[in-house]
Amino acid sequence: MGPKGVVGLAGALIVVLLVLSSVYIIPETHRGVMLRFGELVETDIQAGIHFKVPVIDQVREFDIRVLTMDLPSRQYLTVEKKPLDVDSYIAWKILNVDQFYRATGGDEFRAQSLLLSRVDNGLRDEFGIRTMHEVVSGQRDELMHTLRDRVNETSVKEFGIEVLDVRVKAIEFPGQVSENVYRRMATEREKLAQEFRSRGKELAEGIRADADRQRTVILAEAFAESEETRGEGDGQAAEIYANAYGSNAEFYSFYRSLEAYRNTFSSKDDIMVIDSESDFMKFLKDPQGPR
Amino acid sequence: MAWNEPGGNRNDNDPWGTGGGRRGNDQGPPDLDEALKKGLDKLNKMLGGKGGKSGGSGGSSGGSAGSFGAVLAIAAILVVGYVIFQSFYTVNEQERAVVLRFGEYNRTESPGLRFKVPLIDDVTKVRVTSVRTAESSGQMLTQDENLVTVDLQVQYRVSDAQAYVLNVRDSNQALAFATDSALRHEVGSSSLDDVLTEGRAELAVRVEQRLQSFLVEYGTGLEIVRVNVESTQPPPAVQDAFREVQRAREDEQQVKEEAETYRNKVVPEARGQAQRMIEEASAYKQEVIERARGETSRFLQLLAVYQNAPTVTRERMYLQTLETVLSSSTKILVDTESSGNMMYLPLDRLTQGSVSRSSGQSSGGGNDQTDVQALTDRVIQELRSRQDTNVRRSR
Repeated sequence: MGPKGVVGLAGALIVVLLVLSSVYIIPETHRGVMLRFGELVETDIQAGIHFKVPVIDQVREFDIRVLTMDLPSRQYLTVEKKPLDVDSYIAWKILNVDQFYRATGGDEFRAQSLLLSRVDNGLRDEFGIRTMHEVVSGQRDELMHTLRDRVNETSVKEFGIEVLDVRVKAIEFPGQVSENVYRRMATEREKLAQEFRSRGKELAEGIRADADRQRTVILAEAFAESEETRGEGDGQAAEIYANAYGSNAEFYSFYRSLEAYRNTFSSKDDIMVIDSESDFMKFLKDPQGPR
Repeated sequence: MAWNEPGGNRNDNDPWGTGGGRRGNDQGPPDLDEALKKGLDKLNKMLGGKGGKSGGSGGSSGGSAGSFGAVLAIAAILVVGYVIFQSFYTVNEQERAVVLRFGEYNRTESPGLRFKVPLIDDVTKVRVTSVRTAESSGQMLTQDENLVTVDLQVQYRVSDAQAYVLNVRDSNQALAFATDSALRHEVGSSSLDDVLTEGRAELAVRVEQRLQSFLVEYGTGLEIVRVNVESTQPPPAVQDAFREVQRAREDEQQVKEEAETYRNKVVPEARGQAQRMIEEASAYKQEVIERARGETSRFLQLLAVYQNAPTVTRERMYLQTLETVLSSSTKILVDTESSGNMMYLPLDRLTQGSVSRSSGQSSGGGNDQTDVQALTDRVIQELRSRQDTNVRRSR
């Protein structure tokens, strides 16, 4: 291998380098633009292998995937002038690389700050026409869609950017308002606790009263029934007596009187003063009895 | 958020320094351009040259052609070896590899030893089997404008490596943002009580639906495995008040239980009492009827005998009765007719007896002593008066 060979080799190397530097690859995730002396000559270069003039042509490529960006928390006022701290995010992608390059010089950060200020203004407006209740619960989706469409009206044309989504992550009360909410929540709970306790008492009172009523009624009914039964007994007994004694009233009177005497004078505490003339004593003095 | 995936960044294989919005650290094979340059520099040094970009010029003097040839051969072998080494790579069991050829999507490789064309194929490995988690937690507003602290965990994994690599630059971050948003949105459309109690399961379901639609819309190549609402709590500042409600609930139950206990005691007792009253009445009824039957039966039998011999029976009954009566009671016999006063008044015995046998028959007030005293006084007075009349009569 002489000097000729060396020159040949060097030539080959130069050729290889030239070929290499005039070929470029755009990946699937990107789109490219080609600049010739700083001027756009080719836009929206699709993925694949492409050729350029070395040194003269410059290729810029941009990520066309969906990008998400966090918006720092900002304070907005609702229609009733209540402040809310809102934290949101944007999902966006480059739709038109040519437009994007012109508007931002291909700087993603610049694009983000442009978007950010638009979304910020949009949020301010959208919150400003809604009540707190609407933004917290009812109309999040609607608010977001409105905002997205509004931002897209200009951003697609001006920056070649499409905003896919503007979403509120968090809506929070500023510290002072939170305190008020806590107070209100605590009050509500106290009310509820009171309600439970009172309801318990109410129910308990009802149960007790019901028990007392049942007792009263049961006893009264029992009383009535027992009186009735006693009456039946008395009635039937009286009937039996009447039937029996009615058969000889005079003798009954005598018989019953005797029994009554027996029952009445039955202890030594009963003192009887007896006339010796009495019927019983008739033989006491005279065995023949009184004449 | 933490994510631990190796294939998150593109391997920027950009030997021509075209610049532009490329980001991500180079993890790919070493830049061939660099290698070439280095190799050529080394060569130049060996050849005693000044070293430079155009490696072809070489040093004119010095260095025999033989040694130069040998070095070249060695360099060629090294280059070839390096190229071969660069052409193979392994895909782990947990991974899929997305291959771009000339930048265009070409294929997705399964695990194993795989071949690629250096410089032309660009490989991104994606971990697909491992379950990733995104968490969202914090204090958020409910529909009724209360605050609640919720912890939510989303488990997800890559379902489509191609989409994961090509559609969204940072799917994990996008999902984390979407999770935050979906959770707060759904909490914002539920009432506090729902979020704290029965609504938790439903909350998880609704967040999952939101996330699913988001995943589809963006083509993230991710799929949700599960959404877990780990905890929902009232804010720390009002937890006491919430516990108080719990206590109040328990109090309510307790008061009710106590009342029921009372009822369970009172009512059966009343029923028992009622039963007793009724039984007693029934007993009374039977008793009086039986007594009546007994007494009348006795009377009727006596009556039958009496009707046969009225006078004698009557006399006998009378005498028997008086005998019983008089034998069991204290008697004072007064003879008004006898000229000599036959007075039988065992006063001292009477008084003693009544003291010793004081039964509760005296109608309260004075004791028996005075009763008896008064009685004897009266009896004596009576006797005297009668005696007086007798005396008057006899005169």
